[in-house]
Amino acid sequence: MTTRDRSGLAEALEACRPLPPDGPNILKALLAVQSALGHVPPSAIPQIAQALGATEAQIAGVLSYYSDLRTQSTGRHLIRVCTGESCMANQGGRVFRAIQDHVGVAAGRTTSEGRFTLEQMSCVGNCAVSPTVMIDEDLHGRVIHSDIPSLLEHYR
Amino acid sequence: MKMTRLYLSNDTSSLAAGAGRLADAWNERPEVQLIRTSSRGAFFLEPMVERDMLNGREAWFNVTPEDLPRIVGGIGGTPVTKLPFLQQQTRCTFANFGITEPLALDAYQMKGGMKGLTAAWNLSPQAIVEELHISRLRGRGGAAFPVWKKWQVAQLIEAEQKYVVANADEGDAGTYCDRMVMEGDPFRLIEGMLICARAIGATRGYIYCRYEYPAAARTMKFAIQKALEAGLLDFDDYPFDLEVVVGAGSYVCGEETALLESLEGRRGVVLAKPPYPAESGLYGKPTVVSNVLTFASIPNILAKGGAWHAALGTEGSCGTMALQLGGRVKQPGLVEVPFGLTLREVLDRFGGGMAIGSRFKAVQVGGPLGSLFPESQLDIPICYDAFANAGAILGHGGIVVYDQETDMVELARHFMAFTADESCGKCTPCRIGSVRGREILERIQSGQGTAEDLILLSDLGETMKTASLCALGGRAPYPVETAIEHFGEEFRQGAKFASRA
Ligand SMILES: Cc1cc2nc3c(=O)[nH]c(=O)nc-3n(C[C@H](O)[C@H](O)[C@H](O)COP(=O)(O)O)c2cc1C
Ligand code: FES
Repeated sequence: MTTRDRSGLAEALEACRPLPPDGPNILKALLAVQSALGHVPPSAIPQIAQALGATEAQIAGVLSYYSDLRTQSTGRHLIRVCTGESCMANQGGRVFRAIQDHVGVAAGRTTSEGRFTLEQMSCVGNCAVSPTVMIDEDLHGRVIHSDIPSLLEHYR
Repeated sequence: MKMTRLYLSNDTSSLAAGAGRLADAWNERPEVQLIRTSSRGAFFLEPMVERDMLNGREAWFNVTPEDLPRIVGGIGGTPVTKLPFLQQQTRCTFANFGITEPLALDAYQMKGGMKGLTAAWNLSPQAIVEELHISRLRGRGGAAFPVWKKWQVAQLIEAEQKYVVANADEGDAGTYCDRMVMEGDPFRLIEGMLICARAIGATRGYIYCRYEYPAAARTMKFAIQKALEAGLLDFDDYPFDLEVVVGAGSYVCGEETALLESLEGRRGVVLAKPPYPAESGLYGKPTVVSNVLTFASIPNILAKGGAWHAALGTEGSCGTMALQLGGRVKQPGLVEVPFGLTLREVLDRFGGGMAIGSRFKAVQVGGPLGSLFPESQLDIPICYDAFANAGAILGHGGIVVYDQETDMVELARHFMAFTADESCGKCTPCRIGSVRGREILERIQSGQGTAEDLILLSDLGETMKTASLCALGGRAPYPVETAIEHFGEEFRQGAKFASRA
């Protein structure tokens, strides 16, 4: 962790101090850490456990359970391709392969120059204008595999 | 210069279809005033732009920024009331969609909003539950349990603290009506939850919203703030605390006991029932967990009376259902109709047939745990009982159409892999069964499958159906088995099948 990460972590945890009578909320704390740092570094587990009054195993257990909690930082741009059934029916698989070919890494990986991280995701409720590709905060609908190069051009 | 007021949807899918580009292009134009509304749900026409004309709203479809002069000139629009896709629907819960601005509380009230809550204040808690009993409303999240029974259980238990939880996890692929409600008519969800709180005596509420719906979570937070400022969250002797909580990407967290575990911040693992959440839920207190669409259906019931609702639909399935069309239909979008139309009628009348270049192969109803229907079975009426009799589910109303390009073995493998990925791990039939199921299908896919594999798959399916703790394992075999039942030849392609024949 960088010094900046460390102060971000401390700040995020400060806002998640357990409030009686409900006790610590591990998921909420991990989401807060992720929104501060972009991911939850496993090296932060002891500090999170201490702040919440929980065990390290409890923290690690929650961290590994939820697919939207990430333990590694992503590239500059995060590409997520929907694997839901409406997208599948609308050639989402082909779109995914086109992206994979274009950026040259498999799902879950980051390109060597750190520009893109590629992931698959579950349905985002954009089924009526599928197939769906999400890049950072932008949701793209009705994506056609041949449009991939020009679409990715916008994300340097 | 005369300003023309244009209505443009701010719904996530409208934006993904290009509405954002229109807004960027037109925001600074002096001749237009853009009003950002919810979406009509006719997504195949998005981005869609509307304006007021002498006889009501007219609409322009699949608009590009260059269409502005035409629209401002009033040329080539279609009266919204003449749109067959909308005209043939019965919009009750979705009556405001495409018309109002989501966060305009005054517009919500002008359209009849908060009348249900007012009616509830004039009734005793028992009378509210009785009204729901008369309405025969069943939960829209998937299990279709009578709403009044759940509320009554929570009402009758004495506790110093009770909770109301809206299940906004909307995990079924192919469904988006909860997202639309939260983004497009957030006060309706709040009103439904307040009526429930009044009926059971709850002082706290949570909206458990999936991580993938950031716009919905944002809109709900704004709406709660507005409701608070307007004093709507002040009950007689206490304030009702309502909070949006965001999940972290787990399908099984849509199951109510797993959802409550997750709400408490733990791993979202399914718990054995009983006790049911209505008796012992969040932090061990009586908790009503209902789907977003269920809550959103309640204001109308209180405002118009339970009998109004019971008169819509069929004997066992009253009211309207929000069907969400996706996949290879020509006209994907939201369809609110009374229960009772057949699946074929829905696909023809609203889906408009198949997308260009596509031939129908199968349709799946009810999300990733729903059954597949071939062409010969499309005359099934859309209602809970007919689906239950067919071993199928309506689920949350998702309808996905597959065309001739769909590889059924790959689709079946996808379903088993989905369950293997999403299983919470608590019960063995689901945790191990889904992995074995996926492996068998991978074997078949690689051409190494045998006739025994299909028998094994069927035995495995029986075990999962009877012994799983929740419907994830219990329903996972259905899409696979219906694929094999109707498209068996695709599964019997490998060399080892041939050598035995
Ligand atoms: C694996 C699984 C996933 C579920 N996902 C959801 C969901 O995303 N949204 C939902 O409302 N209900 C979901 N349910 C159903 C809930 O357990 C529960 O029945 C529902 O929230 C009750 O609300 P209702 O009575 O309004 O339907 C799911 C159930 C299972 C077994
Ligand atoms: S299936 Fe991809 S957005 Fe719903």
